[in-house]
Amino acid sequence: MKTIQIFDPALCCSTGVCGVDVDQALVQFSADVDWAKQQGATVERFNLSQQPLVFAENAIVRGYLERSGQEALPLILLDGEVALAGRYPNRNELARWLGVLVVQADAPKGGCCSGSKCC
Amino acid sequence: MKFLEQPPHFLFFTGKGGVGKTSIACATAIELAAQGRRVLLVSTDPASNVGQVFGIEIGNRVTPIPAVPNLAALEIDPQAAAQAYRDRIVGPVRGLLPDDVVRGIEEQLSGACTTEIAAFDEFTALLVDSSLTADYEHIIFDTAPTGHTIRLLQLPGAWSGFLEEGKGDASCLGPLAGLEKQRSQYKAAVDALADPQRTRLVLVARAQQATLREVARTHEELAAIGLTRQYLVINGVLPAEEAAQDALAKAIFDREQVALAAIPPVLASLPCDILALKPFNLVGLDALRSLFTDVAADAAQDSAAPYLDAPSLATLVDGIAADGHGLVMLMGKGGVGKTTIAAAIAVELAHRGLPVHLTTSDPAAHLSETLDGSLENLTVSRIDPHAETERYREQVLKTKGAQLDAQGRALLEEDLRSPCTEEIAVFQAFSRIIREAGKKFVVMDTAPTGHTLLLLDATGAYHREIARQMGNKGMHFTTPMMQLQDPKQTKVLITTLAETTPVLEAANLQADLRRAGIAPWAWVINNSVAAARPHSPLLRRRACNELIEIEAVASRHAIRYAVVPMLKEEPIGVERLLELANQGQTTQGV
Repeated sequence: MKTIQIFDPALCCSTGVCGVDVDQALVQFSADVDWAKQQGATVERFNLSQQPLVFAENAIVRGYLERSGQEALPLILLDGEVALAGRYPNRNELARWLGVLVVQADAPKGGCCSGSKCC
Repeated sequence: MKFLEQPPHFLFFTGKGGVGKTSIACATAIELAAQGRRVLLVSTDPASNVGQVFGIEIGNRVTPIPAVPNLAALEIDPQAAAQAYRDRIVGPVRGLLPDDVVRGIEEQLSGACTTEIAAFDEFTALLVDSSLTADYEHIIFDTAPTGHTIRLLQLPGAWSGFLEEGKGDASCLGPLAGLEKQRSQYKAAVDALADPQRTRLVLVARAQQATLREVARTHEELAAIGLTRQYLVINGVLPAEEAAQDALAKAIFDREQVALAAIPPVLASLPCDILALKPFNLVGLDALRSLFTDVAADAAQDSAAPYLDAPSLATLVDGIAADGHGLVMLMGKGGVGKTTIAAAIAVELAHRGLPVHLTTSDPAAHLSETLDGSLENLTVSRIDPHAETERYREQVLKTKGAQLDAQGRALLEEDLRSPCTEEIAVFQAFSRIIREAGKKFVVMDTAPTGHTLLLLDATGAYHREIARQMGNKGMHFTTPMMQLQDPKQTKVLITTLAETTPVLEAANLQADLRRAGIAPWAWVINNSVAAARPHSPLLRRRACNELIEIEAVASRHAIRYAVVPMLKEEPIGVERLLELANQGQTTQGV
């Protein structure tokens, strides 16, 4: 099965509760990660503020950080190669990577513009 | 002393800074050791003078105390524990990752949660490792973990993956990621805490209404998670005979007796001991041995009434008024009187004919209510922190938590109970009012910590970066952070009491703000007995101790400062607040 590695920005909580505003994308993505695991995928999340060494030891991730800065996280690798950068995948994208069908399309409308003020 | 009867294996003393937890813990240790029990005393007090008390260097290892047979002590420095933890995480990547990334990581790990969890980690071993503690019949801690920490450790969801595998969801337990112990150990530690056969929790308070209310909250929070075996100690109560000495002592005595009579019902049922204010400093073995016995104030110990020549609050207001408008934020630990000082500054400004908006988060609304409409130029508004936090919490759970499973939802709920959440919710409510500060004075009785500001500023930094990349030099961005960093626009006043622990806590707040690029404009020392020039020997003794702390603030911590005397009557209403601002070095003997 596929391995998905998610390199999160420096968050004190993976839900983002401690930030200015709880990021809907993060909360939704936590649920999607659970779903992907149920599909048999290996999903690993690394938080920049807690496991920075993992970021430093991976050449792709380190290079990305040097070029684009931490603002450009998250970075998502699929079996070691860049699959997505700058935002979290939605459930359809996860399904495509894993080669499975999404039974029920209750996935988020998608991307960073899910109703927040960011775009 | 009821709390000393048939003591269990673990004794925890908890209460806010400055109530005397460490002194009582030391005295308890000495008392039990004198009864022939083998005792280990564990201090996490950042102002720990346990070593000084026993005349030896202690530090972060179990050290036998030669002067007290059967007693050993250990000092845990929570700040150092947190620093060691940060170094463990950040050290290996320094130089490997870009510098700004490394700084960002360090900030994430600089919150109060990290410090608390790092300290908890340090004493977990003492709770569970029988080889370490087998030698001791009693282990006495001068602190206790908060309900938030314990609840997090109890949540099964918090442990999903992260701590066992080092990956997965982290939540507020994030800081625990770098801790080496196993889940079973934390679970055993929490079990030991919640076991009334093994653990007794002693709540330490002063005879003040606000303090007792806070202790009642702590009691309920900890009882709800199983720490039911609680005792109450009310420390430093002024003895009746002192009340005859002067009007201030009488006023303090009356106020304390009223607070004791109106003790919150949940506390009234606890076994309670009252310790009288002592006429000597609680330093040294002899002093500590007599903490639990009543000693009459010794008139022979008479010292000359200390002379204090310190600036009044009104002199600080001169400097604030000079700019014509701006934001004034009072910062300090709970119970130091931020709301009173904010109100006094607002009233003094309005009295000088300047337009002022006073906004408070004071849970006891009477202060703001009595002021509203009472003075031309002064408007008053109130933000209820509890309601703001509830609204924020509900909104987050409803929108963002809607699709979480039960475990995820429980975790999100607990995350939302973290102290940061309240700070953020209240600050968001305040920031609506902050904009007014361009035209008039806005005085607030609260301020976010530097840590919160740095986290909040992440957005501001992002917008600035975008502007820079677009090369749009004409565009002007003002983030709340930039406004707070500019002393022309914002003055942060640190409020404290003239006592060791509160001054130390205030210095920590200042360091935290400086990290966020904010230099506190002044310090205000509230409730000073020295500034009130007392006659009673007990109060004079306290005044002498205060002078040392006031000197430390004046020479080491503050750019400018003011001392506000303790008043005979609660400073409520325009008249008394004006009096408060203008008293100080001109105080008549009361």
